[in-house]
Amino acid sequence: MKPFDYTRTARASEAVRLVAARPGATFVAGGTELLNLVRDRALAPDLVVDINQVPLSGIELRDGTLHVGAMARMREVAEHPVVRSGFPVMSEALLASASPQIRNRASIGGNLMQRTRCWYYRDAGSPCNKREPGSGCPAITGQNRWHAIHGGSRHCIAVHPSDLAVALSALQATVVVLGPRGERSIPLKDFYLLPGTTPHKETALRHGELITGVTVPGSRSARHSRYLKLRDRAAFEFAVVSVAAALTMEGSEVSDVHLAFGGIAPRPWRSAEAEAALRGRPLTDSTIASAAQALVSGAQPREHNTFKVELVRRALADILTDLGGRR
Amino acid sequence: MSRIVGRPVPRVEGHAKVTGAAEFTADVHVPGALHGVMVLSTVARGRITRLETRQAERSAGVAAVMTHRNMPRLTVPEPHLLVKRFLPLQDTEIHHSGQPVALVLAETLEQAQHAATLVRVSYDTQPVRTVFEDAMDDAWIPPPEEEPGETPVPNELTRGDPEGALARADLRVDVTYTTPIHHHNPIEPSATTAVWRGRKVTVYDASQGVTAAQESIAQALDLPVGHVRVISRYLGGGFGCKTPWPHTVLTAAAAREVDRPVKLVLSRSDSYSLHGHRSQAHQRLRLGARRDGTLTAIDHVTTQQVSRTEDEFLPSASVPTRRLYACDNLSLAQRAVRLDLPTPAWMRSPEVMPAHGLECALDELAYAADMDPIELRLRNHTATDPETGEPFPSKHLKECYRRGATAFGWSERNPRPGSMRDGRIRIGWGMATAAHSAGGMPGAAARVTLSTEGTAQVQVATQDIGTGTYTVMSQMAAHVLGLPLDDVDFVLGDTNLPYASLSASSATVPAVGSAVNRTCTKARQKLIGLAVADPRSPLHDLPADGITAEEGTLYQTSRPERRDSIRAVLTRHGRPLDVATEAPEESGEQYSTGAVFAEVRVDPLLGQVRVTRMLGAFDPGRVLNRRTIRSQVIGGFIWAVGFTLTEHTLLDTRYGRFVNRNLSGYLIPVNADIPDIQALFIDQPDPTSQALGARGFGETPMCGMTAAIANAVHHATGRRIRDLPLTQDKLIASAS
Amino acid sequence: MSDNDEAPIGGHSRRAVLKTGGFAATLVATGGVLGTAVGEGAGAAPPAPATEVTLDVNGRTHRLTVETRVTLLETVRERLGLTGTKKGCDRGECGACTVLVDGRRVKSCLTLAVMEDGREITTVEGLARGEELHPVQEAFIRRDAFQCGFCTPGQIMSAVACIDEGHTGSDDEIREWMSGNLCRCSCYPNIVDAVRDAARERA
Repeated sequence: MKPFDYTRTARASEAVRLVAARPGATFVAGGTELLNLVRDRALAPDLVVDINQVPLSGIELRDGTLHVGAMARMREVAEHPVVRSGFPVMSEALLASASPQIRNRASIGGNLMQRTRCWYYRDAGSPCNKREPGSGCPAITGQNRWHAIHGGSRHCIAVHPSDLAVALSALQATVVVLGPRGERSIPLKDFYLLPGTTPHKETALRHGELITGVTVPGSRSARHSRYLKLRDRAAFEFAVVSVAAALTMEGSEVSDVHLAFGGIAPRPWRSAEAEAALRGRPLTDSTIASAAQALVSGAQPREHNTFKVELVRRALADILTDLGGRR
Repeated sequence: MSRIVGRPVPRVEGHAKVTGAAEFTADVHVPGALHGVMVLSTVARGRITRLETRQAERSAGVAAVMTHRNMPRLTVPEPHLLVKRFLPLQDTEIHHSGQPVALVLAETLEQAQHAATLVRVSYDTQPVRTVFEDAMDDAWIPPPEEEPGETPVPNELTRGDPEGALARADLRVDVTYTTPIHHHNPIEPSATTAVWRGRKVTVYDASQGVTAAQESIAQALDLPVGHVRVISRYLGGGFGCKTPWPHTVLTAAAAREVDRPVKLVLSRSDSYSLHGHRSQAHQRLRLGARRDGTLTAIDHVTTQQVSRTEDEFLPSASVPTRRLYACDNLSLAQRAVRLDLPTPAWMRSPEVMPAHGLECALDELAYAADMDPIELRLRNHTATDPETGEPFPSKHLKECYRRGATAFGWSERNPRPGSMRDGRIRIGWGMATAAHSAGGMPGAAARVTLSTEGTAQVQVATQDIGTGTYTVMSQMAAHVLGLPLDDVDFVLGDTNLPYASLSASSATVPAVGSAVNRTCTKARQKLIGLAVADPRSPLHDLPADGITAEEGTLYQTSRPERRDSIRAVLTRHGRPLDVATEAPEESGEQYSTGAVFAEVRVDPLLGQVRVTRMLGAFDPGRVLNRRTIRSQVIGGFIWAVGFTLTEHTLLDTRYGRFVNRNLSGYLIPVNADIPDIQALFIDQPDPTSQALGARGFGETPMCGMTAAIANAVHHATGRRIRDLPLTQDKLIASAS
Repeated sequence: MSDNDEAPIGGHSRRAVLKTGGFAATLVATGGVLGTAVGEGAGAAPPAPATEVTLDVNGRTHRLTVETRVTLLETVRERLGLTGTKKGCDRGECGACTVLVDGRRVKSCLTLAVMEDGREITTVEGLARGEELHPVQEAFIRRDAFQCGFCTPGQIMSAVACIDEGHTGSDDEIREWMSGNLCRCSCYPNIVDAVRDAARERA
């Protein structure tokens, strides 16, 4: 690792001030992601500001809204009774992530700030537009089994790795950030950027801004939510394809549904069309099939990931069947 | 003799391993050692045109940056020592991506790692050929590998009239199976620390063969063999990648140049290009059979990759087809394609590749013949070695089929694919024959020293790669010497000890086990000789062949109350008893077999396969330790799960570069992938074994189990997927 | 493709790649923060920032000056000589470096020593009480839950925590919660047996 200065503070505003003041500065919470990014030479901070003592680890329900502090650890959120009962998709997504050791350490804020596991991004000996803008994207015509079928550009087709972000997208969560000019809220749907011509810009965060928490509106659908993660081994692997779904049924009709998908796009993928195909309709094989079709319409698979088109359709069908009580 | 052999004694080094006291190579503390970090080529073929090291040299803590410019010229060791036919850091040629172009040496690891990122390299690149399938048209059959004093194993072989028999066959199967590149990935990365004293060097090396490492270093650096000492007391797995590779030689050479000890631990990513891989493979099998399932012809053509710097490296691709079944008409060809990739290596159970094809093709034949797959195998069973025509001295494979089938409940199987279901989940049962050759390596020497306190130290320059060498050899020595297990100390992993060859090819039992047995038997005879010659012994003047040694006591076999303690005999002798024997040329080749069974649950909607049961019944000769041999079975089975379902190294063919060079992209199974495993043993001594009836066995269980799992997936789904691994994409593509 | 001074890999230069990694940084003064430059080794470039940390490891307090970039793993192994904790991948993907920090299992390659300042760390060397092995250690020997033994310290630390967390309700639960530790000799079923045994013993 390139040498860096280190400091720590217990005050969020101080952390923000320190990072904002130096272009090469970065925050560290759990460290489980930052250390590898520095090893992989994807990041080369000259100052690391340790925010582990910043008291932002609360998890509470206020007026029906879940507030999760950015420094809460994955394990704490996954195990929290309020999360488990009111927002099960979050708990399931977290427990399907990483390993117990990493979940003990990794923070919620850090989880959302994960960078792609694209092997070219992680290989300093390869070109990558995310790591080195303008150097090219070898994945588009290279090994792209893990890559995006939606939302990519000719500059980048990497996928976002966070399971939690997928769950939070389905729950229409909001990210709360603190910057040099104060606090602002960013709906999760606007938090992650598509690569376009600037794949190195992944989020709406400005330099120096710190995620302080996430708010998640409670709802019947949130209480009736699930996460399905598909992968090649049974545990300890990033998603090949994942689905987060939150669903409310009125009788046999879908009155409310929110879906988000992992492993298929540079950010948690939403499909208004798929949701529209379900909302107000009975949950039948035929409506599920049209939702699945809407989801993959316009998909741009590559040489090694065409299977994701079919797999994500089936994953959607499976989770809806399950949540709709049809199994 | 004590009845220690066969007992499931816990590992003698267990305490050291669970407390962290066991010192692996990277744990050895050498004061003043510099830390080495490799800089690897990013191109696959070409020439270095510029190598800029100044910035790295000026980085904090850096002692030297070794490159082709300042490394001494080294000799490439002989092929039987070093598979790779060139040493890096000798010239500007680049032969594969991930080839070392510089070795940075610094006071701390962090300094070396950072400085390594400051080395700048420019290359003049040449076009690469990396696509296996594209090279298939140019595949050729290399001449057999020549080794001094050995009959070369041919890369092609014909028995009888295979083409004619195929044409006449009632039933024919013509199938192609393909398997991807695999990497060994022991959890312990390869590591070397070299310490020079004058013209002599001590090398701590994570090595599956200390003597081979010693010879390769001596040849490379032009030293007398006796000037090189290699030590490897604990080894964190090897699986074929810890035979000598260039990094060990380079570390020793660099340490001499900078006149400081040097420690090099390969990074996980380094390990994907610095010590080999299991080659991608293509195999076409044509089987001909009579309607009753009797095999009348086998034609088996395997193709594997070689690099541009090696000609002949095609490990074991024909063994199962040559040896496992009776078939009069046979043709075999082992072909090579040359690609701009790193040199392949042996990897656990090298015969698994051809065995996978053969055992899956037999399953296909069983369906074609409408026969139970066990019945088909029994029909083609051979009691004689088809290679030699000699009867196998001890082969209980039929009993393995019977016992395995009973324990698995095979008779409950409905053979119709897709017929066993649990809701939407399809259940499949598959089976195969497991077989792997063992031994055939040089024999081992051994020394036994009995102290005046009545304890024994047994020394062999072998290794314990996790297979249980420490434990099983201690048991054998205690058994033969007639001592309690606690009174035996087995020492290994040091070239100062009596010679042994690699811990590879399931050769440790046949080679080292034989040496321990031979040497301890001689020592026991001497000990008894001392007792009967000693007027102070109650055994004085008794015939030596009427004395038994057991649990620290010598007694008259016919009158056990007439006895003397081993300790007393040696104490009166007043000095240690030292016995050594030389290594024989060869340890003899053996063949261990078994029958393996798997159950899978397949979700056809999501394309997920989970193995839910694995069972094997094996004939390893005599079981030396039921606990450690069971663990060998478990290990082999789990490797089979990885081979069949999850593992593949992905290659970017444009750059000849492996892309998933880590443990999150290269998926070795995790605990949650693995069900309960049952292992049964026939436990009949092999009369030809020099190791108390035991045979080499470690590589047998993996072979067969890959096919059993794939056959089970077919049974569950009705689909044959002939390209491994059986990942979701293939399952959903072929699902009905 | 020849005569390129900078060799292309995917149409861009090696120089560009290296620029990403960055050259030795010019150190900016770090007024008011912990980092202080400590000389180490010779060379023209400035030494890396270092700082003082206090680590309580296996009940012993250590005060050390470490470079800020040094991991907890490297510190316990290289500075404290506690080599029981293993490095298998150095990127959190194998679990061999698992230790307990304030009683919770973490991967010591994914945290900096300086981040652990003031915390209580338990490594495999700190489990036994004198000659008496921890029940998990006993169970690992009894169940043959290792072969080469390299991943074993990490497996054992993870198992201690797994039992402590209460994730031993069934074999499947143990499998899931022990899946952050890879074993290439592949002793998983025996590891499950050992964890189940030790959990029962504790109950």
